[in-house]
Amino acid sequence: MNEATCSRCESPLEAGDLRCAVCGNVPERLVTQVVSEGMEQTVLRCGQCGAATRYDARSESVRCPFCSGELKSEELTDPVEQTEAYLPFTVDREGARAALRSWLGNLGFFRPSDLKSAARIEDLRPLWWAGWVFDAQALVSWTADSNAGAGSSDWAPHSGQADMVFDDVLISASRGLTDKEAYTLSPSYSLTTALPELEAPSDDATLEAFDVQRSQARARITDGIRRAAASRLQENHIPGSRFRNIHVRALLTGLDTRRMAFPAWVMAYRYEHKLFRVVISGQDARVMMGKAPISWAKILMVVAGVIIAGLALGLLAVLFS
Amino acid sequence: MTSPAPHSPALEISCTTCGARVVVEEDLRTAECPYCASPHVVERPPQAGRPDPVFVLAFTLDRDAATSIVKSWIKNRGPFVRSGLKEGVLERTRGVYLPSYLYGARAHANYTAKIGENYTVTVTYTTTDSKGRSVTRTRTETRTEWRDLAGRYERYVTDTLVTASKGIGNAELESVEPFDLRALRRYSPDLLAGWIAEEPSLAGEECRRTAQAEMREDIGVDLAAFMPGDSSTNIRSDVTFSDEVSHLVLLPVWVFALRFSADKDPIRILINGQNGQVGGRLPTSWAKIGGAILFILLALAAIFVAVGLFS
Repeated sequence: MNEATCSRCESPLEAGDLRCAVCGNVPERLVTQVVSEGMEQTVLRCGQCGAATRYDARSESVRCPFCSGELKSEELTDPVEQTEAYLPFTVDREGARAALRSWLGNLGFFRPSDLKSAARIEDLRPLWWAGWVFDAQALVSWTADSNAGAGSSDWAPHSGQADMVFDDVLISASRGLTDKEAYTLSPSYSLTTALPELEAPSDDATLEAFDVQRSQARARITDGIRRAAASRLQENHIPGSRFRNIHVRALLTGLDTRRMAFPAWVMAYRYEHKLFRVVISGQDARVMMGKAPISWAKILMVVAGVIIAGLALGLLAVLFS
Repeated sequence: MTSPAPHSPALEISCTTCGARVVVEEDLRTAECPYCASPHVVERPPQAGRPDPVFVLAFTLDRDAATSIVKSWIKNRGPFVRSGLKEGVLERTRGVYLPSYLYGARAHANYTAKIGENYTVTVTYTTTDSKGRSVTRTRTETRTEWRDLAGRYERYVTDTLVTASKGIGNAELESVEPFDLRALRRYSPDLLAGWIAEEPSLAGEECRRTAQAEMREDIGVDLAAFMPGDSSTNIRSDVTFSDEVSHLVLLPVWVFALRFSADKDPIRILINGQNGQVGGRLPTSWAKIGGAILFILLALAAIFVAVGLFS
C-alpha cells in the first residue's frame, strides 16, 4: 500500500516507513509535525492508578511502576512481507505431465533410450513461489576491467555512467526454487494476469510466503538491482567482450516494488531408482528446468567409436603412404 | 552562514503531582521532581537554530544490564591500566538521550586513480649450477601495468550520525556507534519519561561540517572498494553534496563516571543504550609499562651473567 512518494527520489513510501528506504529522506509529514507551540509540560500518567509513569528499557515500553500496567507499547514497523498479487495457472496438471514427457523425449542422443517410457512421474505439485517485481530509474556509476584496450596485461580498466530504466524486473524470494530455476522461469510470466486474491487452490498446492522482513527484503532488492545493472552493463555499456571486477553504484529514483506469487509445477520423476526434479512454468509449459540421467553406455560407445575410427584412419595412412 | 549556538535557559515549573517547584536545567528536556520523583518532559517554545527531535532511538538496555556490562569491561582491561582504576567506584550513572543529527545527501564525486593490472612474463636468466657451470634458466614474474582511470561517481549517503551536544563530542559518539536505525521511532515525549534528555547545544552549521567530513571519509573508503584492477593507488576525488537533509534524533547512551582517586577527575565511560557497546579507553600507566620493561631487561642481564659465569 503506497501512501506517499519520497520528495527526493520519488520512490513510493510504504505505510509505517519513517524514512525512505532508497535515499534515507524523511517524509514531510514527520518533519513538519509541530512538537511544541509554546512551553508544554508532560507527565504521563497511568490510566489505572494515576501514578506518573516512565519509559522502561527492559520491556521497551512505557510502564506504570506501581500497578505494572503497560500503557503504550509502540510496535516497531518492520513487518514480514506480504504477497499482494497472485498469477494464475494457465498450464493444468495434464499439460504439465505432457510437457515433461515430451521434454524427456527430446533431450538428445546422450540420454538413455528408454528414458521417456521408463520414467515414472512420482510427484506433481502446484507451487506459488514468492518474488519481488520492481520498476525503477537509476543513474548507474560503474567501473570494470575488460579486454578492450588491453596492453601487456589481459585487462584494462574502464569507467562510466549510464541511465537505466528497469521495468518489471523480477527478484526471487523463493526458498523452494533455486535462483537459477526462478530466473529460468521468470520470462514466461505475464504480469498483467495478476489477481489480488487466489481462487481456490488445490489441496496439494504450496503457497510460499515471504519469510523475510521489510528491512531484509530491501537489502535483497538492492542486491538484485545491482545484479540487473551489472548484466546490462556487460551487454551494452562496457567496451570489450570479457569482463571482471564489475563495480556498480546506483542512484535510484522511483523504485516501486510489488510482492507477487508465481505459479510453477514442481515434479519429481523416477528413473532406475533415482529421483530427478523438474520445474515447469505454470504459465508456459515450454519453459522448464530440470535434471535428467545421462547414458554412460552411449558416451562410452561414442568415445570408443571415435578412437577406432582414428586408428583405422591411421592404419590407412600407413598402408597407402 | 553561521547561526549562533542555540541555548536553552533554565526553566522553573511546578510539579503536576505535588505542586513543588522543579527546575529544568539548561539544555535539558526532562526533569524529575525532587520531592515526589515524578518524571517531567518539557517542550520549550520553538527557537531559531534549535529544531525539535524527529526521531527517538529508545533504550533497550536498563541500568542493571548497563552496569554489569561496564563492570566486566573494566575488569577485562589489560594489566597496564593505571592502578586503582579496576577498584574504582562507578558514580553518577545516567541514561541520557543524546541529541544528534541524522544526515543524508546525494554525493557526487569526480575521481582519478592509477589502476594496476597484473600480467606475467617469462624471464630468462643465467646462473651457475652445482658444478660451477653457467646455465640459462627461466622463471615467471608478475608485473603490474599502471593505467589512468577517471570517472564520475554518484550515490546516496544515508545514516550518518553526528553529535549535536557540546557535552559529548563526535569522536566519543563514534566510539559507541553503530546504532541500529531500523529501530527508529517517531519522537514522542513518553519515550523520554524518567530519563535525561538533552537539547541540541551545537550550532547546526557546525554539525553540518562534521557530517560532511564524516561522509567524505565514508566515500573515500567506498571509492577505494569501487576501483577495478588488481590494485589501485593515487585515488583523488572531488566530492560535492546536494539534497542534504538532517533530522534531529535522540540516541540512547549510558554515561558512567569512574572515580579512581580522590584528587583526580573521574573517567567518563559511554555505553550504547541499544546494543551495549562500550566506548572509551582507560588510561595506561607509564610507570607500570616502564617497570615491566625494566624487569625484562634485568632478567635478560641476569641470564647473561649466569651464562657467563657457568661457561
